Amino acid sequence: MANEPDRFIDEPEEWATMTPQERWTESATLWQLYLDMGGSLDPEPDSQSPFDFDEFQRAVPPVRRPGLHLVRRD
Amino acid sequence: MQFLLSGGQACILYGGTEFSRDADIVVLLSDRNLDALQQVLRELDAEQIFLPSLDADALRRGHACHFRCRRPDASGIRLDIMSVLRGCAPFPTLWTRRTTIKLLGVGEVPVLSLRDLVQSKKTQRDKDWGHLRRLVEADYLTRKEGATESDVAWWLAELRTPSYLIELAASHPEAAAVMASRPWLAQVVTAGESAIREHLDDEERRIRADDRAYWAPLRRELEQMRHQR
Repeated sequence: MANEPDRFIDEPEEWATMTPQERWTESATLWQLYLDMGGSLDPEPDSQSPFDFDEFQRAVPPVRRPGLHLVRRD
Repeated sequence: MQFLLSGGQACILYGGTEFSRDADIVVLLSDRNLDALQQVLRELDAEQIFLPSLDADALRRGHACHFRCRRPDASGIRLDIMSVLRGCAPFPTLWTRRTTIKLLGVGEVPVLSLRDLVQSKKTQRDKDWGHLRRLVEADYLTRKEGATESDVAWWLAELRTPSYLIELAASHPEAAAVMASRPWLAQVVTAGESAIREHLDDEERRIRADDRAYWAPLRRELEQMRHQR
């Protein structure tokens, strides 16, 4: 709580001044990038969530992970 | 179907975050609306994940019902559905206070009002407090010029950024002096940021405890459902 930055740094302030449409469009771009990089739509492990049950975290299998490749195993 | 967009996607629209991995909606509890919701879920080829099953009784008690869409154009997207939000007004009131946002390629989207969204973010989770802080900051930053008395009172009650609270209280000392929910605002201009942060942390701890207490019986119900499966 006490360690959070006090104010927006420049980028989030810019985000705050965008229109809802602009934010929606930018977020959609981030969403696509996230999926293309192999991002998962699984629920995030969160010990503070009321739904922090093992089977909930496992409920969603990875989807659309074309960018996720095992390059090397040491 | 009568619903309101809430959670992370609503936070994106109001400037509280850049990204969310799921979609949360609040729905009106009525037979007709739940039938319409079931139809939408069928169209999305949505499967239930986790518990409880979607029914009026579970939603009325405050549970969330979780789904994953399988339709190709929405594949993998998680949809969380609630009808009751802790600390928030009943759905019909939320509906009258909604914001309708027109989005290209989507159409008109009914969204939980900013003030109700902020209220709904007062949970036990760290990430919600980050969203909450940024939601109020974004509103303050973009609308402080020409603010109404109602705006000032709301920012005084909800801002969680010491420097902005000092700035606001300095420009509206009379409003700050009578803020019942935050009596310490009367001395906020001279208090110093670390003292203000302590007050904010105390406030947050109390609200988090309230949220944990609210969810405790619902979690017990979820535990029972898990064992009965």
